[in-house]
Amino acid sequence: MSLENSTPIHREESAGLMKYSAENLVPFGPIHPALKEPEYFKLILEGERIIEVVPRIGYVHRGLEKAAEMRPWVQNMYMFERTCGICSFVHSLTYGQAVEGLTMYEVPRRAKFIRTIIAELERIHSHLLWVGLMGHWAGFETLFMWVWRDREIVLDLVEAISGNRIHKSMNAICGVRRDMPENMEDRIIERMKFLVDRANYYKEIVDTEETMLERTEDIGRTSADTAEKLCAVGPMARYVGLQRDIRLNDPYAAYDEVPFDIVTSNKGDVHALLKLRLDEMIVSANMVSYAMKHLPDGPIRVKIPPVIPAGEHSSHSEAPRGEIFYYVKSGGGRTPERVKSRQPTMANLPTALEILKGQTIADVPVVLTAIDPCFGCMDRMSFLDTETNQHWTWSGEELRQYGINYYFPERKKKR
Amino acid sequence: MIEVILQRLEKFAAEAGTKAVQLRKGETIIEIDQNNLKNLVSRLVKDAGIRHLSTITGLDLGQNIGIIYHFWRERETIHLKTLVPKAKPTAVSIVDIVPGAILYEMEVHDMLGITFEGHPWMDKKLLLPDNWPTDLPPPLLKTSKPAEIRKRLQLEVERK
Repeated sequence: MSLENSTPIHREESAGLMKYSAENLVPFGPIHPALKEPEYFKLILEGERIIEVVPRIGYVHRGLEKAAEMRPWVQNMYMFERTCGICSFVHSLTYGQAVEGLTMYEVPRRAKFIRTIIAELERIHSHLLWVGLMGHWAGFETLFMWVWRDREIVLDLVEAISGNRIHKSMNAICGVRRDMPENMEDRIIERMKFLVDRANYYKEIVDTEETMLERTEDIGRTSADTAEKLCAVGPMARYVGLQRDIRLNDPYAAYDEVPFDIVTSNKGDVHALLKLRLDEMIVSANMVSYAMKHLPDGPIRVKIPPVIPAGEHSSHSEAPRGEIFYYVKSGGGRTPERVKSRQPTMANLPTALEILKGQTIADVPVVLTAIDPCFGCMDRMSFLDTETNQHWTWSGEELRQYGINYYFPERKKKR
Repeated sequence: MIEVILQRLEKFAAEAGTKAVQLRKGETIIEIDQNNLKNLVSRLVKDAGIRHLSTITGLDLGQNIGIIYHFWRERETIHLKTLVPKAKPTAVSIVDIVPGAILYEMEVHDMLGITFEGHPWMDKKLLLPDNWPTDLPPPLLKTSKPAEIRKRLQLEVERK
């Protein structure tokens, strides 16, 4: 990020827009009611290329950290689970781990395995959701339909285990609340085999299908050095070749007992991200099968007193989108003194802004979807032509269509 | 590998006039004053190879505001803790050494009212609403009450 030159707001405010007639200002965002993360980006364009991006987030800031200071330790666990509507489990897991570090109790081994299984199922479902969205924004609707059908398989399994599809509420401090139902092993292993087949098939598709290749290859490039400097996490760090995966770097739950390979790529474009997430799905499916076969017997939970000893502790874990970080400070009371939670999108945002520079408007939906599947601010894009002072607005659908027409003009003619 | 890193950490901390305390296995905390912070961070990044900053936490500690920088490498988490008096809430920015800290410092600025000297976007808001009243205390201070914030923001909306 070229921090020395990052003062576009002054350019816009002080000089008036007419002075920079070659540059266009595109306000991007902020609100989309259907998705969870409205964000606002001010894009400064030169012709078709983006030269500068200024972020503004916080439109759905709910003050969870402040709210946590007024609630008992246990209630906070289920409140933090509601941070995200896709990777909910891993939030309560990381918060739980941070609190467990302050107590004297050890989490039972069976609970650790159940946590691993649910976390990996969640990763598969999150990656499938993302691959589907990628197909949607790239103009390949069939992929979206297929992938979201397969996602139902995972959601059904999660429902059978926990009773809920999204907010599993499985975790407790020092254990899990529900045991693995009987006779689940065969069903899960059979389903995982099916998902591995599907993932292999999708890999073949994204390698051969022209629509996907055209929209994703050589787009969203960055270097390992940039990603490392800007502290990128998760797939955004691995797609440029960084070995950054908390499951491997700092194992938690049962990840030191379940064998798996870290997936990285050196290609560093959106196509590499697609294949990387599909590969990770296969790895996760194999991990779930392994963990089910080797699920140990024993208790699933230790009961703990409601008062947590004084101290401070931090914990991090690998969510589908990257590292989640929690810091807790206890004063020895029934409520925490401070809880800090940091989500992967926040960590990846600086890298995202850097990647956007030099891209065209037609690539914005694809690049932003590539960066974070939770991203949802494309439903209102307003344009201002500084030469003629014309002002117009595009909806998300119009923007998507513009992107498709830009790459495949012949389709427009057919319609 | 980890032992080497820990030894280096202890050496750096001793040079900066403080010491590295092991909280528990895999977690080390170094308390450092504002003047030596930048020097220590650049040694961590350049010499010890600890390049990943997880986040920056701001804490209300009564008279002071604590700022904790959470770094990690492999199985070792390193917390750098520094104190800033509430009477003069300014701190040094580490954005020129760790560019990834840019949004985290803005977050601490919004939530606890600390100004980071040398940060390029300190005049902008990241999380708080645009109509946040200037006389209201930053929301994560212990003196700030959610009911009061809600009431004031409602008034701001009605005024429009």
